[in-house]
Amino acid sequence: MAEIALENVSKSFGAVEVIKDISLQVGQGEFVVFLGPSGSGKSTLLRMIAGLETIDRGKLLIGGKECQNLVPGKRNVAMVFQNYALYPHMTVRDNMAFGLRNVGMKEADIAARVEDAGRILEMDALLDRRPSQLSGGQRQRVAIGRAIVKEPAAFLFDEPLSNLDAALRVRTRVELAQLHQRIAATMIYVTHDQTEAMTLADRIVILNDCRIEQIGTPMEVYTYPASRFVAGFVGNPGMNFLDADVSTSGKEASATLGDGSRVAMTISIPDDGAYELGIRPEAVHVTTGEGDTKGEATVVEHLGDRTLVYTRLGDGTSVIALDDGRSQVAPGDVVTLRFDTSQLHLFDSAGRAYHAD
Amino acid sequence: MIRNTKNDTLIAYVLIAPFLVIYGLIFVYPTINMFILSFQDAPLISFGPQSAEWTGLDNYTRLPDDRRFGTAFWNTAYFVLLTVIPGTLVALAIALGITRLSGRIQSLVLALFFLPYILPVSVVYRIWDWTLNFQFGIAMHLFDALGIDRIPIFKTSTWFMPAVAFVTIWWTCGFSILLFLAGLRAIPVEFYEAAELDNAGRWTVFRKLTWPLLWPVTALVLTIQLILQLKIFDQVYLFTTGGRPNDNLVMVYYIYQRAFQNDDGGRAAAIAVVLFVMVIVVSVLNFQLLRLAERKT
Repeated sequence: MAEIALENVSKSFGAVEVIKDISLQVGQGEFVVFLGPSGSGKSTLLRMIAGLETIDRGKLLIGGKECQNLVPGKRNVAMVFQNYALYPHMTVRDNMAFGLRNVGMKEADIAARVEDAGRILEMDALLDRRPSQLSGGQRQRVAIGRAIVKEPAAFLFDEPLSNLDAALRVRTRVELAQLHQRIAATMIYVTHDQTEAMTLADRIVILNDCRIEQIGTPMEVYTYPASRFVAGFVGNPGMNFLDADVSTSGKEASATLGDGSRVAMTISIPDDGAYELGIRPEAVHVTTGEGDTKGEATVVEHLGDRTLVYTRLGDGTSVIALDDGRSQVAPGDVVTLRFDTSQLHLFDSAGRAYHAD
Repeated sequence: MIRNTKNDTLIAYVLIAPFLVIYGLIFVYPTINMFILSFQDAPLISFGPQSAEWTGLDNYTRLPDDRRFGTAFWNTAYFVLLTVIPGTLVALAIALGITRLSGRIQSLVLALFFLPYILPVSVVYRIWDWTLNFQFGIAMHLFDALGIDRIPIFKTSTWFMPAVAFVTIWWTCGFSILLFLAGLRAIPVEFYEAAELDNAGRWTVFRKLTWPLLWPVTALVLTIQLILQLKIFDQVYLFTTGGRPNDNLVMVYYIYQRAFQNDDGGRAAAIAVVLFVMVIVVSVLNFQLLRLAERKT
């Protein structure tokens, strides 16, 4: 059963539509990440689930109960804010107990839950401190603790790691993944950081321009992007895009690139004609043998375990290729590139994606 | 750039010199003279060695038996009681109301509440005299219509202080409202959103969030108000004209009477010193107590 279900949900701020007819099901215990660029509506969608923004049209079901008209406190969700929103004048203990006291829970039960959360998050020693006496990472934990004690139907995270420094962000990300495994709660997590999305999510919901572009597991989204937007947005470094003229005979297709080279692949497309050919850097190999095209290396980035070679093809198109860590390629070298044709994608002018077999 | 520090220091002194001279001339020098004067039996004007007579603490020891000083002291205390806390609460309530509005309406309402603050006290006096005057005040016609007996508000000692306190709150709360609004705007909206998710009702939000987070501003407003209202003079002076000035005396008014009406500089100075000490002690005490309270919450 879906723990959270959105049915044809829309919202406008004045004349500007910010959420356009979105439907989505989040399963019990599932970790779903809303991923998208700024202004894609991901935070708004989360706030609509929380009840901090109204839902103009459509239904929201949480635990099977219609919630779109309930106040936030009655929706049985807990939210972790980007800047934590810890009450500065209360101790950690009081911060966590606040919501429980408001529903009239017995002090003994509250104390037990707070102690539990303190243990789960390994911050027993911090319970009597004020937020101002905590580090950024500790505040983050308190914010999560404040959510945990409520034992909500779902946890909502609004870019919770963006205020942490890089090292702490990685560590907290791992802790979040462990936390999810341990308490097996339904979680919705908003981020614009695709690494967070890829590593944490059971399923990623990719939002763009106020609508859902694709819903899928991280590997589905990465391997079979549903659109040109998703293909370009997910992955770092990003997918290479090359203009291609494609002609087919049956499932066998031949793409002519801008520099005149031809790439053969197996793919089903409705019409021959102009497409954008997409291929990830790790499917472009620098080879000494036979290849699909040639390019001049402009920048070589040695990352230790692998090397990124930025090349320019004959027609000026940029292609990033992946070479192994001990790559001998130097800027200015002309290198032969071989495409792994099973990892090719074609995008039509509307941005629809077709994947090579 | 290498800077000539000696030159910089010189420029600094030159720049603050005009202020120091004026401050010394019209504040420090008179204040020292006031302390000296308070130990003398001397007129206010033409004071100097030839007309002054040293009387030690006489001017102070006479105060406890001075009936007019007693009236002034207790009236001032009563006035402070009637204005400081009620005025602060009224300003807070209005500020809370204004924050709920938005856009132009908010600016308009704020302007309306701030307007009295920019009025000179003489205009404030005129407005409220016209409103509450026994014979032709607008409010009296309202009393007539409701069948209530007219009250000579500014002529009875029962009503005088509460009425002046009311007018003072109306007149001065605009500034406190501004301070509260700034304080309210400094509270991040996320706190309120978190509280909404925490099932906090309006009253809980106010009691557990807004009030404690606004406490530093409240302490500031209370202290400013306390100092301001201890120095009450103009309103009482204007409203009491033609009434019973001796019953409505406040500290500064009594200083004024002694100094400028009785030309009794020595005794006026002694009362001024008492008020000076009162203001300092009360405001320091007030501020410390408020800080202590903040630490406890």
